[in-house]
Amino acid sequence: MARLINWIDARFPLTKFVKHELTDYPTPRNLSYWWNFGFLAGFVLMLQIISGIFLAMHYKADVTLAFDSIEHIMREVNYGWLIRYLHSTGASAFFAVIYIHMARTLYYGSYRAPRELMWWTGQGLLLMLMATAFMGYLLPWGQMSYWGAQVITSLFGATPFIGDEVVIWLRGDFTVGDATLTRFFVLHYLFPFLIVGAVIIHLVALHYVKSSNPSGINLADKDNIPFHPYFTVKDLYGLGLFLIVFCYFVFFQPEFFIEATNNIPANFLQTPEHIVPEWYFLPFYAILRSIPDLLGGVVGMFLSVIIFAAMPYLDRSSIPGGAHYRPWYRIMFYVFIVDILVLGYVGAQASSDLLIVVGRVATFIYFLTFCLLPYVSRKEEQWLRKRGLPAEIEELLQQESLQQQKKDNV
Amino acid sequence: MNRNTFLIMLHSCLLVMVFSVPEKSAAAEVIFDRSSDSLKRGAVTFVNLCMLCHEMKYLRYQNLLEVGFSHNEVDALRKDKNIQDPLQSSTAPEVAKLLFGMRPPELSLMAKARKNGPSYIYNLLTSYYETADGVIQNQVFPGISMPDVLSYSIETDPLVRERLEQKAREVAVFMEWAADPNANQRRNMGYYVMAYLFILTFLLYLMKRKVWRRLK
Amino acid sequence: MSDDDVKSKPEDSGRREFLGKATGVVAGAGIAAASWPFINSMNPSTDILARAESQIELDGIVPGEMRTVEWQGKPVFILRRTEDQVVEMGTSHGSSKDPEPDEERVQKSEWLVVIGLCTHLGCVPNRNSDGWFCPCHGSVYDNSGRILKGPAPRNLDLPPYEFIAENKILIKKA
Repeated sequence: MARLINWIDARFPLTKFVKHELTDYPTPRNLSYWWNFGFLAGFVLMLQIISGIFLAMHYKADVTLAFDSIEHIMREVNYGWLIRYLHSTGASAFFAVIYIHMARTLYYGSYRAPRELMWWTGQGLLLMLMATAFMGYLLPWGQMSYWGAQVITSLFGATPFIGDEVVIWLRGDFTVGDATLTRFFVLHYLFPFLIVGAVIIHLVALHYVKSSNPSGINLADKDNIPFHPYFTVKDLYGLGLFLIVFCYFVFFQPEFFIEATNNIPANFLQTPEHIVPEWYFLPFYAILRSIPDLLGGVVGMFLSVIIFAAMPYLDRSSIPGGAHYRPWYRIMFYVFIVDILVLGYVGAQASSDLLIVVGRVATFIYFLTFCLLPYVSRKEEQWLRKRGLPAEIEELLQQESLQQQKKDNV
Repeated sequence: MNRNTFLIMLHSCLLVMVFSVPEKSAAAEVIFDRSSDSLKRGAVTFVNLCMLCHEMKYLRYQNLLEVGFSHNEVDALRKDKNIQDPLQSSTAPEVAKLLFGMRPPELSLMAKARKNGPSYIYNLLTSYYETADGVIQNQVFPGISMPDVLSYSIETDPLVRERLEQKAREVAVFMEWAADPNANQRRNMGYYVMAYLFILTFLLYLMKRKVWRRLK
Repeated sequence: MSDDDVKSKPEDSGRREFLGKATGVVAGAGIAAASWPFINSMNPSTDILARAESQIELDGIVPGEMRTVEWQGKPVFILRRTEDQVVEMGTSHGSSKDPEPDEERVQKSEWLVVIGLCTHLGCVPNRNSDGWFCPCHGSVYDNSGRILKGPAPRNLDLPPYEFIAENKILIKKA
């Protein structure tokens, strides 16, 4: 074995690469378990790709065959029910992991310089994941699949001037039909591999700027430890915990994330009583419904996803890191989380007068949080400086201003 | 709370979660007998009564062997159909549409297509009542096209009503099985998987602690 | 990064190694067990397995007539041999390439049941009065399905079948 490795090493930087990027890779020693979720996201991506490929061996992307092929998988393919439930639960697991990963990044300010590109590649990954999930949901061709796709594709009709043509172009037909199903299947199979590519870019950026850490301050070299064995074993332990929760759902509550109505084949003549997207789209769906104008709602929904990209510029504080040393930022973060949960609840319910008001208030708060951040972050910095900054911050800020002076003098 | 306490609590919660799993999350109100005999009686009722109008296109007669019937019993149920044939109705769908105004829905997945499916089915079958004008109505589904197949609404003898209710329960249990025939295999596998994962995660936890103790 | 932080006590390493090995074995077993459902999902599904048996009625086939039926997606030749053909086939063992007495190739001497695929490269041979002729590369088979001439290495293969009634055979799964 050693001889084989040596042979490869003479021709390909295998050992060097593994040592530099994995084994010896310097990682802050104070990373908490909130840093496990990037690895978990990668794991779920692999799980979805593998389970998806094996499902695709039996799935038929044709409106007359799709629903039946799912039942064929569930009832007649060996362990088909297991692979299907892994994939459907995996989709929800993917979003849960990604949302926690994003929350960690927001809380600890990991989106700030020099990690803006990581945040933006992450933003791109989120959009690709949402598109993949949306297209995947059409494939079972149940009532919710069909009508969910009808509603969301019709939103593109809000495009000014060419709205109607865009919708028809997207669907390949005047309504969601066989053309739509076929192309959604092809793209749903393709996108995860684009996601893998984007993840690689995301990781290249990470390895250039290195991980942030809970304190938000760049640690000295002595406070880094090698990734292996410390974080390999910690990631695997976290994976074990994740799998326990995940497999609980797969084996004991697999239908928890599947809408009952989706067990009825798509019927273009009958709309279900209550059209509801999967839980991970609910807050954005609520924002869409809160704005009474069609174009306004679509723009609002799109904006609510995209606005995260602005974070590095909205945050005007020069106090490093995130909520650790910044109590006002911490409050805003918690308010934002609660607001998202409220939006999620509103998105799941049928409309009512009270809920419309709640939804609008929650949408307002959602965007207000972003808009207020520039002002609040600056005011908070002033307030913190007046109280006196902790020593490590003072030191860091002094170092940074020294470096800035040196740059200016050159 | 320190980290170890948190971890212990987390593991306990997960353990409690696993072992407090309800047999079927859907059936909240009605008590069902899920024994093999009950399942078989429900299957017989379904094949001989419900299939006069309804079909279960995703089930074949062959699958009835999994319910616990012998080959001869299945042969008796399928009459002149092949063992590989799906469970089709004896009434052609177009004829049924003429009789009832709509195609009777396919029932393989009905127990999953409604919230608390088996309870819904039981309640539907047993909520037919006769109005003062002698019209038969259904409380769960007003304006339903399906007639009162158990003749429950006009039955006054409480003993007979009880037997009809039991029949309805058995049909619901059979339909629950039909919607998810792999449920038992899935749960059994799940117990093994969860036990394995607890062991593996515990070992990984020990390894993690051992490795991290190296740091001063 | 200082080495002082990362040194380990000597007595730990034995226990640590055992724990590491134990965890590795448990994890490896889990990965192997987890891959089985995926691999097995590629095996024929239960609906295909159910069609792996074919029940064939023999009514209506006159002596000298051959009928082709399907079994597991393959053609099966059912030849009802005349008395003359049975006698003729009993006189030889086919050819030296794959000698076999006729009695060992049939259960009831008038009924020959063989898989209708040339043992050379799988083409379906054509029926003639003396047996079969494969158009692809010229293999010649007799009325017992035995290879006489040509590139095929074996006599026509026999499927696993049994008579479940006087006039009915069941070609089994395996």
